[in-house]
Amino acid sequence: MIFFEFARRSIRLHWLRSLLAVLGIVIGVIAISSMGILGNSLVLSVGEALSDVGDTVVVYPHAGGFGNGAPLQTDTVITGRQVQQIERAVGVNDVIPLHLSADRIEVGGERGVVQVYGMDTADIPLLLEVTDGVYLRGASGAMVGQALARTYNLGVGSRITVGDQSLRVVGILAERGVGFDINPDRAVIVSDQWYRSVYGEEDYDQVIVKVRNLEEIEEVKHDIDAALNRREIEVDIFDTRMILETILETFGTISTFTTAIGGISLVVAGVSIFNVQMMSVTERTREVGIIRSIGTRRREVMKMFLYEAFLLGFLGSAIGGILSFGGGYLALLVMLQDTTFLFASSSLVYIPYGMLFGIGTSLISGVYPAWKAANLNPIEALRYE
Amino acid sequence: MEEKGVKGDRVSTDQPVIRLDHVSKIYPLPFGDVTALDDVSLDVEPGAFIAVMGPSGSGKSTLLNVIGCLDVPTKGDLFIAGRNIGELSDDELTDLRRDTLGFIFQQFNLIPLLTVRENVEYPLVLKTRRRESEGLVEELTRRVGLEEELLSHKPSELSGGQQQRVAIARALVNDPEILLCDEPTGNLDTKTGTLIMELLTEVNGQGKTIIMVTHDPRIAEYAHRTINLVDGKIV
Ligand SMILES: Nc1ncnc2c1ncn2[C@@H]1O[C@H](COP(=O)(O)OP(=O)(O)OP(=O)(O)O)[C@@H](O)[C@H]1O
Ligand SMILES: [Mg+2]
Repeated sequence: MIFFEFARRSIRLHWLRSLLAVLGIVIGVIAISSMGILGNSLVLSVGEALSDVGDTVVVYPHAGGFGNGAPLQTDTVITGRQVQQIERAVGVNDVIPLHLSADRIEVGGERGVVQVYGMDTADIPLLLEVTDGVYLRGASGAMVGQALARTYNLGVGSRITVGDQSLRVVGILAERGVGFDINPDRAVIVSDQWYRSVYGEEDYDQVIVKVRNLEEIEEVKHDIDAALNRREIEVDIFDTRMILETILETFGTISTFTTAIGGISLVVAGVSIFNVQMMSVTERTREVGIIRSIGTRRREVMKMFLYEAFLLGFLGSAIGGILSFGGGYLALLVMLQDTTFLFASSSLVYIPYGMLFGIGTSLISGVYPAWKAANLNPIEALRYE
Repeated sequence: MEEKGVKGDRVSTDQPVIRLDHVSKIYPLPFGDVTALDDVSLDVEPGAFIAVMGPSGSGKSTLLNVIGCLDVPTKGDLFIAGRNIGELSDDELTDLRRDTLGFIFQQFNLIPLLTVRENVEYPLVLKTRRRESEGLVEELTRRVGLEEELLSHKPSELSGGQQQRVAIARALVNDPEILLCDEPTGNLDTKTGTLIMELLTEVNGQGKTIIMVTHDPRIAEYAHRTINLVDGKIV
């Protein structure tokens, strides 16, 4: 096509300024793609760290106006009767009532504060995983979280003092990461009998329901709500998947935002394409006059200049697309120290995205100059020096 | 080209190929209007060779631009090859310039980005949307007396006389009925100018209608008829 040929030659003739305009697009495309890849990897890595708690419904005593689900409440409780109601409501699903408080800890003269979870020893394997030693069975003895064990250098058989009571460590828990139900990594797990005898507390602070069939989560929540919150609100019910989704959504928003910041560099690139195209139109005014006078239609002149903008955008996007692998890799390495998600397909789509934006920006920037060229008066254009 | 076929309208050869009917061209300027063409009427028969003369600023170029459909008359009617150009859209006027009119300028006005061959075939490519010209470019090159090895050169590498020959070849490539020449020899030495005029005479002999603006009475002698313009009027 002859108009494409015009565009190609014009770019080659002014290769230096074309190169600069292309460079702008390259940077813009890399910025958009690598920000997109970074944001997506962030979502993926957070999602992976939290996904194993997706099957849990957590019931807290109703916290009045303060319903943020914080598990450290002292004045409100879930009674044994309420636990029974929950058990009846959820049928075959496992119900795990928990006691929870904070207490002093002392190990070989080192002191600190820990969270103490009291639970039925039969429930422990449902919720927690042991890496070292055994699950707690008897009334006395304790299990400790991985991080706590590291801090106090604890092993199976170590002795710890919680409050005034001495306990023997029978098992170390596997690291669990941040959870929405419980956070055992820096906690001591004891039997419910021990907890009640030491703290004199019969009621529970939190009830966890493990839902066997994920699709029943909404139903289970609804049933608990119907059983307990009929007359007045007694408990707050959360499912971890909902919390997870909220968090992922937030990360998604953040990643959209950073990608948009990448887009700003593309706007700058668009301005430079606009500049180059305006220059090209001005310099070639006489040429436009010639081709218009010998029978080139307005639309054809427009096409010729749009091809030029397209070519610049295409070149920039192609180069930018290739370099985006490197840009994404670097962004992940610096921000996440983990590049595993670079080649996830949901990350890689940001590269064609970025390229499309690059080409689109160039075309949009090229529209006005092309329109201007197409609407030059042929006689005046011919007279232009 | 749709509707009233240009060729169909010219069954009889004595129907004028160009007709100006009380044409005026007025340029509105802040300090008063300039009347570049003042009530000009003119019939041009097919195959005519007309020289347009007159002092500077008398409206010669304006007349040529109006006939060339680059400019529209302020008043009056203009017919080119039987078509009333006042009724045509910008695209139709553009197509008329491409197919029915050939332009030859004082400055040659070749397209610098294209080679000589591409310059010659450009109007044809516009018309047919195809790049192959089936030997037409070579034939025209011979007709205007240009060496074939120049076809691959860029216009800037050619002499003025050679460039004007390329421009003439380009003007002829779509086999137009009318050639419009604005001082075709103005940028050439006398000897080269004479050669170009001989070429134009030859082209006229092959049936093209030619309207040529010139300052030079010796150049005007090549024409069959000379029109004198003064202050936008034919005298
Ligand atoms: N675009 C325009 N705007 C305003 N006035 C114009 C324009 N073009 C031409 N004119 C005026 O119209 C008149 C005729 O101009 P034109 O160019 O046709 O003269 P010409 O006979 O070709 O002169 P020359 O021999 O110097 O080329 C002049 O007075 C000129 O100033
Ligand atoms: Mg003139």
